[in-house]
Amino acid sequence: MVDDTSQTINLSAPVLEKLEAGSRPFSLLIQKLTGIVGKTGILYNADELLVYECDGYIVDKSAPDIVVFPTTTEQVSATVKICNEFNVPFLARGAGTSLSGGCLPIGGGVMIVLTRMKQILELNLRDRYAIVEPGMVNLHLTNALKGTGYHYAPDPSSQGSCTIGGNIATNSGGPHTLKYGVTTNHVLGLEAVLPDGTIIELGGPTAEVPGYDLHGVYVGNEGTFGICTKAIVRLTRDPEAHRTMLAVFQTIGDATRAISEIIAEGIIPSALEMMDHGIIQAVEEAFHFGFPLDAGAVLLIEVDGLEVAMDAEVSKILELCNKNNVREIQRADTPEERMLIWKSRKQAFGAIGRLSPSYCTQDGVVPRTRLPEILEFIEQTSAKYGLRIVNVFHAGDGNVHPILLFDERDQGQIQLVLEASEEILEKCLELGGSVTGEHGIGVEKINFMSRIFNETDLATMEKVRNIFNPRQICSRDKVLPPHGSGNATKVTQTHPARRAPH
Amino acid sequence: MSPLSSGSQEEFVPASQTELSRFMTENAAVDHRQLFPVGGRTSLAVCCPASQTGIQLCTSQLNRVVDYPIRDLTITVEAGMRIDELIKIVSAEGQRLPLDVPQSNRATIGGVIATNINGPKRFSYGTIRDYVIGISAIDGMGNLFKSGGRVVKNVAGYDLGKMLVGSLGTLAVISQVSLNLRPKPQSMSMVWFQFDSCQTIDQALEAVVTSGTRPIAVEYCNAKAASQIAAEARLELPADHHTLCVCYEGPENEVRWQTDKIASEWNQFSPLHVQTVENEEATRLYDAFTEYQTSSDDPVTIKAILLPSQMMKFIETATQLNIAVQAHAADGIVFGHLPDSASSLDDVQQIFNQLKTTIDPKTGYLNIYQCESDWSDSLPLFCSPPAGWDLMKQFKNALDPEHLLNSQRFNELVEI
Repeated sequence: MVDDTSQTINLSAPVLEKLEAGSRPFSLLIQKLTGIVGKTGILYNADELLVYECDGYIVDKSAPDIVVFPTTTEQVSATVKICNEFNVPFLARGAGTSLSGGCLPIGGGVMIVLTRMKQILELNLRDRYAIVEPGMVNLHLTNALKGTGYHYAPDPSSQGSCTIGGNIATNSGGPHTLKYGVTTNHVLGLEAVLPDGTIIELGGPTAEVPGYDLHGVYVGNEGTFGICTKAIVRLTRDPEAHRTMLAVFQTIGDATRAISEIIAEGIIPSALEMMDHGIIQAVEEAFHFGFPLDAGAVLLIEVDGLEVAMDAEVSKILELCNKNNVREIQRADTPEERMLIWKSRKQAFGAIGRLSPSYCTQDGVVPRTRLPEILEFIEQTSAKYGLRIVNVFHAGDGNVHPILLFDERDQGQIQLVLEASEEILEKCLELGGSVTGEHGIGVEKINFMSRIFNETDLATMEKVRNIFNPRQICSRDKVLPPHGSGNATKVTQTHPARRAPH
Repeated sequence: MSPLSSGSQEEFVPASQTELSRFMTENAAVDHRQLFPVGGRTSLAVCCPASQTGIQLCTSQLNRVVDYPIRDLTITVEAGMRIDELIKIVSAEGQRLPLDVPQSNRATIGGVIATNINGPKRFSYGTIRDYVIGISAIDGMGNLFKSGGRVVKNVAGYDLGKMLVGSLGTLAVISQVSLNLRPKPQSMSMVWFQFDSCQTIDQALEAVVTSGTRPIAVEYCNAKAASQIAAEARLELPADHHTLCVCYEGPENEVRWQTDKIASEWNQFSPLHVQTVENEEATRLYDAFTEYQTSSDDPVTIKAILLPSQMMKFIETATQLNIAVQAHAADGIVFGHLPDSASSLDDVQQIFNQLKTTIDPKTGYLNIYQCESDWSDSLPLFCSPPAGWDLMKQFKNALDPEHLLNSQRFNELVEI
């Protein structure tokens, strides 16, 4: 607790379990934070906080006590120092598009929303980098680069709203990662406010820096290493030409074999997205693209590169699809046709809104050749739990996104969703994969960590976390399971406990 | 297995990761000897000066393939696997790890990661950090830990592999690695350009930014280096001036279109000579560029990391100082072999001081890449502190609290 008279920071004091609204520390905290960000940069009324009670993962909810909107690194640092002084937990939030509860303020506290730090600070095409503030919307950077011949390559499906700072926290991927890599492959350096308020720089605009690759360690920390306040990102050359195809297959197995053979041929498509039977029906009902309703799988295949190479690559892909019993192929030869094909993929999630009031998207990964097995298992799980599960995902990476449809007003259904998700992710591990390819561990999958990693692995990760965040005051209870849970073999949490762990 | 004597340093050759872990646990508990992980011993001048006493941990018997699911384009190997062996295994399946490793008949994958070795292809394919999808390593106390996994996309847990890239064996001994692979391209060609001045080279490099072609690599060498590289490749190439050599890969028609296109684009800079090198000759020339950074018998090799736009100023000064210069030019990575005339430490220091005047300390680094062992104790590897050095110290203390792993090199890293 803060000492009102001396304002001494006691860093060994435990982080507050609860900040009582209206209490003296609460009022004093509001006063101090207002002094940093101004009256227009702070929210603390319960009705205003409601929007921040969850992110894209709606299964768990917990509102912060206070939300601040800093506009400079110094304001972030000052805010963090005040939180330490009051022993109040805090965490960063960008656009709140996390699908694993990465922005869930467990135990309340102060949420530092970075959406007002959204400037491009430098664009340098000659040296192929941009320096941006963390609240910059991913797509806005690429839009700002239009006409230069360059873009920012990581493009999560939420790129129209998600922020670069959030992408760094999560090490976000997207449909084009098969060829272009994920966020960590495109971050050259960053500035961050550590959980004690210190401002640090890691990496830099050069192609590498001597010493340990700490910006590489920082990417994917899910907010637990402090708050990224500036990012130096690599810019990628635009491809000269694209060719996009939609291939309709009778079975998932045929589609998967086609993928393996395309890649074995030496062609790395820039995107390989698959939609299964369930999502095809939903998309068709909503948007009438003309997909056959009895198709087992639709594969969106995109290649890019120099115009001179495109026709040969397309011919080869068509040949390999035909060899694997493709039923029909639509080709996009104009930008308009390409947009239409991509619309069917990008609007898939919108179509789900017509099917059910709520949905939960999972993020398992399997070796690409094991896709038929995991999809068959998902179908069995759907039948077992009586839950509708549809799939639209990054097939080239083996990154499946089973979408579990439910009604969040029904507690029984929520429990079924949790159990079905658990079984699917467990199967991903059994097939040699991972429980998250791009959404992060967050709060959602924290109990899986002790099944993926042994105690030594987790202890090493904890050592690294403690270098950055020794008090665990920043984005608490994320990524690493709390002590004593290392031997847990089963998820025992139920929804109410997950709602309010503190 | 008991330590074997090998010159001034003893050697321990574990047969398994578990044995290595056990040995390191005992060392931390009882002997407190300095440990120096070594793979193919190609970078000992960087990693492990001979003057130090302790035990070399040799990974030569940790050389097995653990898992190679061919159609998934991933492979898991032990860290002591030699690069040429790895190339042979994946090449048989039409695949490759798209990195350039000098002395690949000796270098190991663990060593490549620990020293962050890379070469010309980094411009288009990135570096080893982009291909490690999972890693196991043993910290200074003997704890065997892992992060990542065996699938190409995975964000479960912190990415501990990154901290080991370029760590020079100062944090942990890398014991096993899972790698992402790529298909092999059909063909490769290079175009050798000679230009009259550094200014013209700079203009041509600036034009690469908007070139209609997509080079795999853009290599620069000054006249001194060019003649050595051409000789190594056994090719008759003009080498009297500044050289830019651009590399293309892919289907033959695409490569040919690009080699013609770059020649026409750079015509405006009035090259003194343009020559396309194809097939076997292209492979030999490419290999000569890959090997050059470590091929010198000269006493000291330097490495500068610069913004590409600031690179030619540095190169011009280095050339005036009679340094043989090669650069991965589009990435701003410069290697320079100091001349024989730099025969004393004072000479080397003087050259360093002159080179430093051309570097903006905020966006450039000048390091020792290789040097004669007699001098290695007197020349710090790192000439200016990298960003985050305070945190690096904390990483060292967390992973190797007794400072048993190659600690002199670590001290140079953070205490300049």
